[in-house]
Amino acid sequence: MRYESFSVLVGAAVLTSAACSNAVSAQSDLEKAMGSSSNWASQAGDYANHRYSDLNQINAGNVAKLQVAWSMSTGVLRGHEGSPLVIGDTMYVHTPFPNNVFAVNLKDQSFKWKYEPKQNADVIPVMCCDTVNRGLAYGDGKIFLQQADTTLVALDMNTGKVVWSAKNGDPKIGETNTNAPHVFKDKVLTGISGGEFGVRGRVIAYDIKTGKKVWTGYSTGPDTEMLIDPSKTMTWTNGKMAPVGKDSSLKSWQGDQWKIGGGTTWGWYSYDPELNLVYYGTGNPSTWNPAQRPGDNKWSMTIFARDLDTGVAKWVYQMTPHDEWDFDGVNEVPLVELDIKGKKVPALVHFDRNGFGYTLNRVTGELLVAEKYDPKVNWATQVDMKSGRPVVDKKYSPGTTGPDVNVKDICPAALGSKDQQPVSYDRKSGLFMVPTNHVCMTYEPFQVEYTAGQPYVGATLTMYPAPGSHGGMGNFIAWDAAQGKIVWSKPERFSVWSGALATAGDIVFYGTLEGYVKAVSTADGKELWKFKTPSGIIGNVFTYQYEGKQYVGILSGIGGWAGIGMAAGLTEPTEGLGAVGGYKDLAKFTTLGGSLFVFALPDAP
Amino acid sequence: MKFVSLVVLSAVLLTAVALASDKPEAAASASPLYEVKDGNKVDATTLQGWKTWRALACERCHGAAQEGMVGPSLVESLKRLSKAEFHDKVMKGNPEKGMPPFSGSDMVSKNWEGLYAYLKGRSDGEIQPGRLTAIEQN
Repeated sequence: MRYESFSVLVGAAVLTSAACSNAVSAQSDLEKAMGSSSNWASQAGDYANHRYSDLNQINAGNVAKLQVAWSMSTGVLRGHEGSPLVIGDTMYVHTPFPNNVFAVNLKDQSFKWKYEPKQNADVIPVMCCDTVNRGLAYGDGKIFLQQADTTLVALDMNTGKVVWSAKNGDPKIGETNTNAPHVFKDKVLTGISGGEFGVRGRVIAYDIKTGKKVWTGYSTGPDTEMLIDPSKTMTWTNGKMAPVGKDSSLKSWQGDQWKIGGGTTWGWYSYDPELNLVYYGTGNPSTWNPAQRPGDNKWSMTIFARDLDTGVAKWVYQMTPHDEWDFDGVNEVPLVELDIKGKKVPALVHFDRNGFGYTLNRVTGELLVAEKYDPKVNWATQVDMKSGRPVVDKKYSPGTTGPDVNVKDICPAALGSKDQQPVSYDRKSGLFMVPTNHVCMTYEPFQVEYTAGQPYVGATLTMYPAPGSHGGMGNFIAWDAAQGKIVWSKPERFSVWSGALATAGDIVFYGTLEGYVKAVSTADGKELWKFKTPSGIIGNVFTYQYEGKQYVGILSGIGGWAGIGMAAGLTEPTEGLGAVGGYKDLAKFTTLGGSLFVFALPDAP
Repeated sequence: MKFVSLVVLSAVLLTAVALASDKPEAAASASPLYEVKDGNKVDATTLQGWKTWRALACERCHGAAQEGMVGPSLVESLKRLSKAEFHDKVMKGNPEKGMPPFSGSDMVSKNWEGLYAYLKGRSDGEIQPGRLTAIEQN
């Protein structure tokens, strides 16, 4: 019964889009650009976050011949996340702080324009895990850059001149940005970083033409500020959807802790134009010492479904109530149609930091599947499908043992079974291609005081490869989201911190922290091609077609949380090294340096 | 109970001279900069210094063993820096390089001398990396 109404809804949606009766449903320039696989017009290539391309010139049969077509230096060290955009004959390349933008002419790789913002360096110390930036957005003739200093800038795509800019935060209280802005229909959405500085998370929507703020939806606090309707915003409760009720967030925090309660919003957002719903996840509650914030800490660690026009939350689902491990819920939520138990379901899929792969009905928010996507995950035995809550193993619960006790061998580590590195949905096989971490940790929480603009962490961590496994710190896996099962798994020496790209050529690309970009078969994970770039890869693979030829590109440049120790020669493993402990071997393979690599097949003789 | 090393550093005296002009509150003292037992038990001031190190998440840039990561190795830096220079760096920071100014932190204002003592003990190789406890009072 449960699913019947959804298929009706989907049917209706398809009709609507075909008829195009509505005035606002006229295709935007972004939608037109995304409609052609020659472009890579948004960070995910589409609204649904598939990161999939129909291009198949490069395929399983010939990918072994792939070679460098051209490359360029970005002129910036530190971590290069995200990917460039390609629209027509121009590629738009971003850099980490200072967040320069290059418009590259694909004809001769000359620069059409450069944008070099002047940002106050005070922002650098308040960026948590390296000065990364996850890329640009395109729409309405503009290129959008979300600067680290919380300035959102709209640049004329032809000249690079500033059309408008807006301020969405304050670095003085630890607010910064690493996320890409997202263009959905007539709005630009952005979030905020600073979960380690007691920032209060929110998503902000701006009018694409004027830069005027349309709505702000907070992750925590009073219902009105979260744009939650206590009687209409739903959540999974006791095996069915029910209204969240009055003050759902306020009741789940002690005192005013929600004001510095985190729930930041630095991930990749998705959008369903038929439902007009935006989907994204919120980050960890601040501090990392759970003893200081009793309660479920709603709505940190939560998937939000919000109406794009009003921001009002249709439903919410909290993956990790009362976090004790820093399992941010920010990871992306790709939208897919799945067959579950013989029914077509409009679904969303979410690979959470906490190690569970979730499948929900994206119309209603109902929980359908929640299974471990790394067999080593041990902090919870399972997700109770009735309550939707994880069944926590007390042995791995720093909130149970309390402050100043070091809890050992928690899997996954704080950076999760997967962090920001986005998955690709292979439309041909219907499988998700997932870059993962295979890392465990020790976690010792301690009491901290909040001071605005100062770190507000409150835990000491050590991370290391999952014990009793292959010794590596990563896997690249194929996941069946309807069943909640791993189909194949390819071990990697280090975490796969790079976003994947599957194509109609039956291949999937990803990068490694040592600096390899690889192509493997979507059927079985067999490695078909690899190339060593100058630095470790934490960027996302993208593809486009120019003058009839397919290209595949990647930003190379180690950094980010996993690569943060690269700047110095680490030699001896020591207690309490945090992310660096397990990653120190990286120094044997790579060093800092930002560059873009573009690959193509050789021209036929 | 192996041995208690009372480290009186000539640096303390040098520092006192350097401080005379701009930091009158840090008067010259004959008491040791830090007291350490078994490498991981320290006096109350140094313990507060370590707790400050931990609370301000200094290990994120300087490494859990002060060996240096994005930020410089403090094992090395503390061999060069005077107490006055240390105070200046911590309070003013170096934003271009990613070092925040900690003048806004009460905990640092209160405990910076303990922090200096702790890092000096780490630099001297007398204090071990990782968790510290108080020397038991007899």
